[in-house]
Amino acid sequence: MNIGNDILTALPEIFLACSAIALLMLGVFRGEGSSRLIMTLSVTALIVTLGLLLMGPTRNTSAFNDLFANDGFGDFMKMLVLIGAALTMVMAQRYIEREQMARFELPVLLLFSTVGMLMMISANDLIALYMGVELQSLALYVVAAIRRDTLRSSEAGLKYFVLGSLSSGMLLYGLSMIYGFTGTTNFTTLAEIFANGGEVSLGLTVGLVFLSAGLAFKISAVPFHMWTPDVYEGAPTAITAFFAVAPKIAGLALFVRVLMGPFGELVDQWQQIIVFIAVASMLVGALAAIAQNNIKRLMAYSSIGNMGYALVGLAAGTQEGIRAVGVYMAIYLFMNVGTFAVILCMRVNDRMVERIDDLKGLSRTNPLIALALAIFMFSMAGIPPLAGFFGKLYVFLAAVESGLYILAVIGVLTSVISAFYYLRIIKVMYFDEPSEAFDQPIGREMAVVLTATSVIVLLFFIMPSPILESASAAAEAFFPAGP
Amino acid sequence: MEEFLTGYALPVGIILAQILAIVVPLLVAVAYLTYAERKVIGAIQLRQGPNVVGPFGLLQPLADGAKLFFKETILPSGANRVVFLLAPVLTFSLAMVAWAVIPVNEGWAIADINVGILFLFAISSLGVYGVIMAGWASNSKYPFLGALRSAAQMVSYEVSMGFVIITVLLCVGSLNLTDIVLAQETVWFAIPLLPMFVIFFISTLAETNRAPFDLPEGESELVAGYFVEYSAMSFALFFLGEYANMILMSAMTTILFLGGWLPPLDIAPLTWIPGPIWFALKVALVLFCFLWVRATFPRYRYDQLMRLGWKVFLPFTLIWVVLTAGVLVAFDWVPK
Amino acid sequence: MVVQALAFYLFAAVVVASAMMVIAARNPVHSVLFLILAFFNSAGLFVLMGAEFLAMILVVVYVGAVAVLFLFVVMMLDVDVTQIKHGFLQYLPVGVLIGLILLIELAMVAGAWVAVPEAQSVAQIPFSPGGDVTNTQALGAVLYDRYVYLFQAAGLILLVAMIGAIVLTLRTREGVRKQSISDQISRRTEDSVEVKDVPSGGGV
Repeated sequence: MNIGNDILTALPEIFLACSAIALLMLGVFRGEGSSRLIMTLSVTALIVTLGLLLMGPTRNTSAFNDLFANDGFGDFMKMLVLIGAALTMVMAQRYIEREQMARFELPVLLLFSTVGMLMMISANDLIALYMGVELQSLALYVVAAIRRDTLRSSEAGLKYFVLGSLSSGMLLYGLSMIYGFTGTTNFTTLAEIFANGGEVSLGLTVGLVFLSAGLAFKISAVPFHMWTPDVYEGAPTAITAFFAVAPKIAGLALFVRVLMGPFGELVDQWQQIIVFIAVASMLVGALAAIAQNNIKRLMAYSSIGNMGYALVGLAAGTQEGIRAVGVYMAIYLFMNVGTFAVILCMRVNDRMVERIDDLKGLSRTNPLIALALAIFMFSMAGIPPLAGFFGKLYVFLAAVESGLYILAVIGVLTSVISAFYYLRIIKVMYFDEPSEAFDQPIGREMAVVLTATSVIVLLFFIMPSPILESASAAAEAFFPAGP
Repeated sequence: MEEFLTGYALPVGIILAQILAIVVPLLVAVAYLTYAERKVIGAIQLRQGPNVVGPFGLLQPLADGAKLFFKETILPSGANRVVFLLAPVLTFSLAMVAWAVIPVNEGWAIADINVGILFLFAISSLGVYGVIMAGWASNSKYPFLGALRSAAQMVSYEVSMGFVIITVLLCVGSLNLTDIVLAQETVWFAIPLLPMFVIFFISTLAETNRAPFDLPEGESELVAGYFVEYSAMSFALFFLGEYANMILMSAMTTILFLGGWLPPLDIAPLTWIPGPIWFALKVALVLFCFLWVRATFPRYRYDQLMRLGWKVFLPFTLIWVVLTAGVLVAFDWVPK
Repeated sequence: MVVQALAFYLFAAVVVASAMMVIAARNPVHSVLFLILAFFNSAGLFVLMGAEFLAMILVVVYVGAVAVLFLFVVMMLDVDVTQIKHGFLQYLPVGVLIGLILLIELAMVAGAWVAVPEAQSVAQIPFSPGGDVTNTQALGAVLYDRYVYLFQAAGLILLVAMIGAIVLTLRTREGVRKQSISDQISRRTEDSVEVKDVPSGGGV
């Protein structure tokens, strides 16, 4: 075993883990006042990791005895995760300082969680998968409860933890079934077994079902979504923004990797599961969100629905489908980061507000923020020519191409339903009488994030090629002999 | 029948004989350790110690034993009977069981197993159950407080003990106790690993609840800690167990750091003395230190005890493990 | 072999019986003690299989440390079993139903179990690879060489767990007078004692 080569292959992950440990030490020795410094350094570490990832010469390599795999798909998804994590952490600093929760452990935990996500995306073994999932979620459980003196935050943390452990149990049970019926935990070997016409026993299918259930929980797909609204609402808003972006991308990437990689030959076995989860998520996401008054809960249901749309691409199981998932997640990243940036700006008299009614008349009190939010809402609703429209378009096209017409039709219908509540927000902002104005200024980093994300969402149709091309390259990872 | 005799009866007989050969001298040693303790502390405090029963008071331990034997065993009415009676038995038997792997000379162990040192470590970590069970089952405040203190204390010091053992293992390359002793033929580990030797000795004091870490008993604050409610033979078993544990820990120190049965120098007059005598002498030396410490040092306060365990010993031993490993690798001394 | 078989049945029976008692015992402390007994006997089973290192580590880690802390907590809690069992009957039918479904599923799965040839060969691998390699060394080779990635990942997970425990529970209390060893040691006679010449009959 060439350890140097292994380290080079996993350099981004190793660098990020080491910098998290170093920042932890720095924080411990500098005391409580070092939160801002640690946050800045954490974001820097994420950017450096992104740089290492982009410079990495590694395509289709594996390391550590085939436990860890690098490919185009992984690189693309890791890039999204790192961007999402970095953006949400940039937005978080001002919030956590205002809310008296500035502790240096917070960025460190978020970094560890990000390491877990990268490990999930690169997992090439059932055990590595589990390790990544645990590292990612354990850090998030803690972060959700980080305001331990407030009831809502502790409740969110506890709920997340209990249900999360349950799903980890299911995941582990599924993994053990798969191991028991195939005798291996390695993805490469598993893929070979099925490619050579290995027998698919009932036990393996049961294992696959449990595995899918566990993963569906991690991306909060229906029927494993129950924790999402409560955790989103209870967790501090800056943390919710993090929850809504990076872990979702990583979870979905892992879902794709597991189903397309080792179980790629078993499309018949898992396609109906994914179709069901996708349909249920889209429906629940569209219908349940209508009744929400709290914008964080609304975003929770919105993300459930969005996961449903992304899963449509996976259900297709084709190269087109995977490309669509990549594009969708990239657009989802920017829309969500932008929306949460607006939510983080919702402060009245030095106090966070999170009711939709608090947005009343925003167009008059703060036209720029209102415009940005309007762009994101239009985009989420799928109005052309905004980015969200293209995300859905590619997904549905992929579904239609692989013959899943009904799925595509349901997707379009739910998309119409969900447009109702997205547009309602715009109506509240533009046509209702103003309530109290939001506090100014929102801060320079917020302004930058808002501008950048809204420009990307708005002008995606002019220059879609960077995202489209990298998503295509990513999708090729699963279809080596593809067109 | 023939097969039964040679196949089963004979080995069982041999094992029983071996067990007796270990346990009987051990019990005698325990009895006379109590005598030695009183004599040594007496001498340090310029007193006589026991000197009435028999010549120089030599029969004192037997008299004490007989006294305890004929007393009434009192079961407190609120006590959880089974656990209450199980606790002293557990303490005593664990202290005996561990001796199965102790080699007093090359090849002189009942079971010369591959993971001997882990076995010792495991058994010594079980000792805490006797204390906890006694404290809980007594259903009384002082024993319970004593048990809580003891549980926290023993678990804390086990951690650093574990790291000390790891440094020794790094230098030996085996978990077998005989191998550990034989690896010290050139130099006892007490010399190159002197800081670890000191930490190990102090940790054994804490592990056996001996002064200055005898807070679980703390007679001035907890009356007598976890065995307040015990009397007669159940108390005697605790007492025997505690002293047997002291001897066991001394034997462990001897094996890990003082070269077991090996003579200090491999030269003529010293090598004439048989190994078991050397072993006994070294154990006696360590035991003397136990008594010496008890006579000399005041009891630690509880927070000081915890601070010492977690904030001093743990980081120090951790660093030392890394250092030892680094030196072994750097000079290519890693045992094969 | 007879002795080994007897020992196996003894250990196995005690493991199963004490595991039953863990859930059946009315007193939670007894439950924990039975749990410890179960651990201990599982260690015995490991020894019988020749996995002596695992056996000892099981005792050191689970019995010697984890279960002690467990017992520690359970002893201090006032767990009222009847309170917990309140509403038990209410949920019994649902629980039984779910249990039955799972049982049937498991039975179906087990019935269809065709172990792949690789799995069978795995089952026959002795714990000690034989020769001079003890099973401690064999385990080390797997853990630190083949699975070093997972080993490090597990380390990170434990680190996160530790940070989490500290973040969520540590409260620094104000106004506590802490012992400062360095202050105590660096204190000199001159700092604390003033020697004065007291003239006889004059007072200070």
